Amino acid sequence: MKRRQLLKAAAGVSVLNANTADKEEGLKIIDTNVSLFRWPFRSLPLDTTKALVEKMRTLGINSAMAGSFEGVFQRDLSAVNERLARECSRFPELNPIGSINPSAPGWERDIVQCVDLHQMSGVRIHPGYHGYALDEPHIAKLFTMAADANLVVQIAAALEDARTQNDIARVPDVDITKLPSVGDCRVQLLNWKPRGTIPSGVYLDTARIDGSDGIAKLLETIPADRILFGSHAPFLIPEASLIRAVHENQIAEAPLQKILGENANRVFAL
Amino acid sequence: MNLDGKYGLPSRKELKDFRIWDSYFTPSFGHPGADGSSALFADIERSMHAIELGCFERLCYFAHVGLGTTTDAAFETLVKVKPETVSIPLERWPDLLLSMIQLNANDVPASLDALNRWLRDGPMRGVYFAGGGPGALTCTHPNFHPLVERIGELGGVIMQHTWFKTGGKQGPGESTPGELAALAAKFPEQEFLCAHAGGEWEQGIRAVRESPNILIETSGFDATAGFIEMGVRELGAERVVFGSHLPSRSLGTELSKVTAAEIPEEAKKLILGGNYRRLLKER
Repeated sequence: MKRRQLLKAAAGVSVLNANTADKEEGLKIIDTNVSLFRWPFRSLPLDTTKALVEKMRTLGINSAMAGSFEGVFQRDLSAVNERLARECSRFPELNPIGSINPSAPGWERDIVQCVDLHQMSGVRIHPGYHGYALDEPHIAKLFTMAADANLVVQIAAALEDARTQNDIARVPDVDITKLPSVGDCRVQLLNWKPRGTIPSGVYLDTARIDGSDGIAKLLETIPADRILFGSHAPFLIPEASLIRAVHENQIAEAPLQKILGENANRVFAL
Repeated sequence: MNLDGKYGLPSRKELKDFRIWDSYFTPSFGHPGADGSSALFADIERSMHAIELGCFERLCYFAHVGLGTTTDAAFETLVKVKPETVSIPLERWPDLLLSMIQLNANDVPASLDALNRWLRDGPMRGVYFAGGGPGALTCTHPNFHPLVERIGELGGVIMQHTWFKTGGKQGPGESTPGELAALAAKFPEQEFLCAHAGGEWEQGIRAVRESPNILIETSGFDATAGFIEMGVRELGAERVVFGSHLPSRSLGTELSKVTAAEIPEEAKKLILGGNYRRLLKER
């Protein structure tokens, strides 16, 4: 086990112990969809890492998979991922998720760095913001590389409702119907509002599964094993997804535990 | 497992203390069902767990009263022939539901008649102007003037659907917060609710902040962080009114906008119920 993994493991034990001491029957919650650093179009109340992590602790969220808003808007993703890894190392709850742009030159090297340099468990892509479709050849190559490296690929299907975007950065939702076979790669769609057929074998997050019974209805379509808690904080208020998942959808305890944390533990091999 | 007060939702005691009145309950919003109520009832039942979870005291929905606000000719005829159909939900949940009527500003004479029938004679508390569908008309149209005057005489509340959509309006009858501000300037004694705060609330709040007779309503878009903080900062907590948009939106999305906001508890009480009760002349 590498040093960073050892630190994470030790931190994870301490967090769990602390929670166990505080509340014997506390839920184990992993947020698979947070982002660090600044959203360029708005100041967000939780857009410092410290504020975000303190909010997570208040809400009982034990850990999070953290991407980077810098990875959406900047091109030097090697530097972006380096900053993200460094920032996450300050907070034991945070697991860095590197940004990859498979339409950019030299992206394969970023994958290698995410694995070898930063020991990341996943990468996040933003096809809408980086200007490519999911049926382009480099996506299949990304899935193959990620599967070989044991990386999860998170696809940000959207970051913001298209109706409220800034005029100079209008980005339609990613066309999920163009998603190729994911093969052995573990792929998670973030911020996706399920419409039509749900792609085979992919995992979803709960960030924008809205409606008073939205997750419950989704569970009629796909098994709980494929739904992972995600908040899209700090862009969205983290309480929103948490209330829906824990309180509102009347999900039985076993599937709820899967959605809140067990699935993420398994998928990200935490 | 005791979840009270944990995982994002305030405790039941805190929720009860907020005295939540929901100004924007949208069960079967576009059509209550061919018989006038079955789809509406189903959606109210579908919302009931969230209503109880949030300890809501009252919720206001928007009834179709035969003014051509749906595309179902048979339903429109049914409501005209049997207007008592409209009140059935209020009779079934008398302590929980309030209602306003969906007006059709394209048909001023019929809308004026409906105001007498449903506001003057009760039990409706105000009106809703839609942003889409056959009853929608942009609120700067002169047809609004006699309607607003009459609503004012009757002491009714006005909820106007508004959006500032990137790329422009999705339909010709849609209204923006800026257009509502233009209407509100002509009727300074009448208060208006700006539904959804324009959706894109950073522009929506700015568009109405010089209009002291406009309050923003909070529902209908993702739980984007910072909304309530800006609303309270720019308008004051007295000009922000909670709406749930249940069941098509969720308690998580809509309630957390207010309860998780970095504003004083007293401001949350005003937003979650106090301001709306003042408009309704309720305590």
